[in-house]
Amino acid sequence: MRPNPLTRRGVLLGTAGVALAAHCTAPAVARSTPLRIGLLTSLSGPFTSLGESMRAGLELLIADAGGQMGGRPVELLVEDDGGKPEEGLRKVRKLIAQDGIDVLGGVISAGVALAIRDVVTEAGLPTFISNASANALAREAASPLVFRPTKTSWMLGHSGALWTFQNIAKDGGLTVGADYAAGREYIGDFVQTFQEQGGSVGTQLWTPLGTTDFSPILTTIAAEQPNFVYAFFAGADAVRFLQQMQEYQLQDLVKLIGPGALFDQEDVVPAAGSAALGGINTFQQSPTAPAAHGFVEAYLKAGGRLPGEASTAGYVTGQVIRAGLEAVAGDPSDRERFRQALLEQPIETVIGPMRFDPRNNQAVLDIYVNELVAGPDGQPLNTVVHTFPAVQDPGPAG
Amino acid sequence: MRTHAWLLCLPLAGLLALFGDNYHLRFVAEILITGTAVMSLDILVGQGRLVSLGHAALFGGAAYVSALLAIHAGAGLVPVLLAGIVTGMLLALVMGLVATRSVDLFFLILTLVVGQMVYELAFHWRTVTGGADGLRGIPALVLHLGGEAWKPTGARFLFLLAAGLALVAYLLARSFLAAPIGRALVASREQPVRLAALGYEVRRLRLLAMLFAGGIAGAAGALYPFVNLYVGPNLVHWSMSATMIVMLVLGGVGTLHGAFVGTGLYLLVQTYLSSFTDRWQLLIGILFVLIVIFLPDGIVRPGWWRRQA
Amino acid sequence: MGFYLIQTLNALAFSVLLMLCGLGLSLVLSLMNFVNLTHGSSYLFGSYAAVVWLGSGAPWWLAVPAAFLAAALAGLLLDRFPFARFYGRNHLAQVLLTYGLSVMFADLMRLGFGAEIRSPVLPDLLRGVVFVLGMPFPIYRIVLILAGGVLSLVLWYLFDRTIWGAVVRASVADRRMVETLGLDTRRVFALVMAIAAGLGGLSGALGVGMLSAYPGLDEEILLHALFVVVLGGLGTFRGTVAGALVLGFAMTFARVWLPEFAGFLTLLAIALLLVLRPDGLVAPKLRQV
Repeated sequence: MRPNPLTRRGVLLGTAGVALAAHCTAPAVARSTPLRIGLLTSLSGPFTSLGESMRAGLELLIADAGGQMGGRPVELLVEDDGGKPEEGLRKVRKLIAQDGIDVLGGVISAGVALAIRDVVTEAGLPTFISNASANALAREAASPLVFRPTKTSWMLGHSGALWTFQNIAKDGGLTVGADYAAGREYIGDFVQTFQEQGGSVGTQLWTPLGTTDFSPILTTIAAEQPNFVYAFFAGADAVRFLQQMQEYQLQDLVKLIGPGALFDQEDVVPAAGSAALGGINTFQQSPTAPAAHGFVEAYLKAGGRLPGEASTAGYVTGQVIRAGLEAVAGDPSDRERFRQALLEQPIETVIGPMRFDPRNNQAVLDIYVNELVAGPDGQPLNTVVHTFPAVQDPGPAG
Repeated sequence: MRTHAWLLCLPLAGLLALFGDNYHLRFVAEILITGTAVMSLDILVGQGRLVSLGHAALFGGAAYVSALLAIHAGAGLVPVLLAGIVTGMLLALVMGLVATRSVDLFFLILTLVVGQMVYELAFHWRTVTGGADGLRGIPALVLHLGGEAWKPTGARFLFLLAAGLALVAYLLARSFLAAPIGRALVASREQPVRLAALGYEVRRLRLLAMLFAGGIAGAAGALYPFVNLYVGPNLVHWSMSATMIVMLVLGGVGTLHGAFVGTGLYLLVQTYLSSFTDRWQLLIGILFVLIVIFLPDGIVRPGWWRRQA
Repeated sequence: MGFYLIQTLNALAFSVLLMLCGLGLSLVLSLMNFVNLTHGSSYLFGSYAAVVWLGSGAPWWLAVPAAFLAAALAGLLLDRFPFARFYGRNHLAQVLLTYGLSVMFADLMRLGFGAEIRSPVLPDLLRGVVFVLGMPFPIYRIVLILAGGVLSLVLWYLFDRTIWGAVVRASVADRRMVETLGLDTRRVFALVMAIAAGLGGLSGALGVGMLSAYPGLDEEILLHALFVVVLGGLGTFRGTVAGALVLGFAMTFARVWLPEFAGFLTLLAIALLLVLRPDGLVAPKLRQV
């Protein structure tokens, strides 16, 4: 359990110190008031491990930036949404009304993201949705000041289908998914693209979110002996699914593909262990991606683990906010100018070059195809075998 | 003591209504609305010893219906309230029919089961309820006065409504408990056998109590979507019911106004304390356990359930 | 044919897991009339203990007894404070106390063991499969079924058939009377609580190979345990076993045939069964008003 040295108080004191030092040493800067960045993440509830990783990622970026962005010191205010939209809403309101944040980042769960969308839009607060991948935010729920520096479910389901069709099989596969919004999106998008390519998908199996025992499904898979299985699970479900696949000796018999969350390097692989080997996933993040090189080393050194999606997302969000702030010389108060600055040119991030689609502020990203092979230490490692460059969500029209 | 409390509350409420900013008004409105639902739970738990782990389903179910009505047919205040009350009572009827044949642990589990069935509906019926993502894009409340639609702006109006709801619900609850049916309910908790011997149908009493509590929770639920302009399946999950029980115990079981105190305390701690420490849940747990062990009366007033089994 | 046979075995293994979940809870409830909602926490604690033990290089076959002892010790401490004051209280007070404690334990375990999912390193002996009519079935689950069976037989014998079990039940029914016979009821209760908590930990250790350990598992297990115990009926082990079997089979086959409605249907089944038989499947007739 990593102790967190950067408590809110610590950051406040630290940046106050930096601000004071900067004020004393440098010529008087017109805007030396700290920039307040709010981070809404999950520090309790089902997404705690992801939430803590996201916070760690953003804190690392702020430290790398020397606690400054756009010439101003940065103050990070972290709030816990507990994975619950109602709590998230309360915290966002508080951050806006009482803490006066300039910019909001974070959000793990799609439910929370969709819930806060109206509040932040009404308040005119630039918001960066770091992790939630609900398609709706890039389509009907897009908002001028809500940016998404990460993928949509479609981007992964679509690329997964392309890869599977081109490299694995054109039919004889089946899908398995946790039966909730995210599962339906990933699998639905996969099936649609696969069929558009000319392939056909067999049975679509569903299981309730939080299933502990996958044996009924695994027995069905064993009976059907498919050419591939496209699956979506996340967190504990993913760990159990992979382990039980191995338990039923299906790991070597069946080609398993999924969105990256199924094989998240930080959240799933350490617990699943050898059960993750041989899997394939499409993801916007990979510890072996060339762009991520320096970040992976730094994160490994700081926390002893390879970064997964959440920590990378935290870092990337920091990079995007920083790029935007540098472009407006540290003053985001002119919202339209801030927005234009972010849309103008691509931003170099640790998941590759990122530009935003002006229709919906959705990031256009390189999507990696990862294969889980044994790394230098013998543990499964997401290794990039292919990159789909600049994948763009169809957006509001699509 | 009670009159002093009222004398304090009303001017505070007035000050808030006049000078409070949107954020605080909305926060207090949320406390009042949730507190009303918790108070309705108090009728069951405190007066009838009917510990329900499905109460959030009544509250949240009404919230869903109210939100759906607002989205598809406009957010008129009166229709929304009526829909909420009816929904709350209907769900309470189903829950009551299933659960009131049992007592104690079985009642607890059955209310939990029925509540979770409502959750499953909310979670899986994506086309209607939005599934895991919930319902957003809820329009603001509209008041139809004499043919004209008056759309008062947000937080202040909501606060006044919430305060009004809390007051009316409280008075209704008081009169329910003072009435013969309320007295009989208390009797059913203390001496059920004797009551049955007197000819009362204890099961019917409990059912009626649940219907009443469901109606109040439904009214509160009807207003809830307008606090956040969002409703999600979390609102009907059993963990929300458990949270309502925690709120009730913190404030004081058996005293109706304790519900509001407990709700306020819980929401305040959750919103403000979590900024300072990751361990806020541990703190609430410790506070809760300490209250249960040393102050079973809650913060407000002596309770009844200190007695032996 | 093989498909349905395996699914039946799957259901059986899951039922055993459910039964393990319910055992400690049922014990304390039936024998001491004490509702212990920290049971989920004991399970999770046992799971974490097993993960740590198996990862430390100590002999793997001692993982389960180690988890049992660790949880039993915790149970003993809890009995001392604050459970002892609450044995005579009504169920509401017990529910509130143990629920509050479970919230505390959940956060403490998160602090101590981390928020990430932890899986045990299983010995190779437990990792294979056997092939039944051409379909694979894991050895781990066979071991689980056998362990569960043996455990329930032992416990049933201990509490239904020995004088010691009778002492425990008598202590709840009429404590003063038992005291006059010279028996220390305080120690009896402490021992039962320790064993019940230990059983929770033991179940956690047995189940961790299937479910892993992570924050939130305690609530899920508690819910399963409550359903099993209530469905089966209080007062007998037969009840818990029956409840576990019904629930296990219902959940497994609901997932095979109607996965999208599996959750709803399982709940409906529980509600219907309890409406038809309000005291549970296997229960003595209680006078209820």
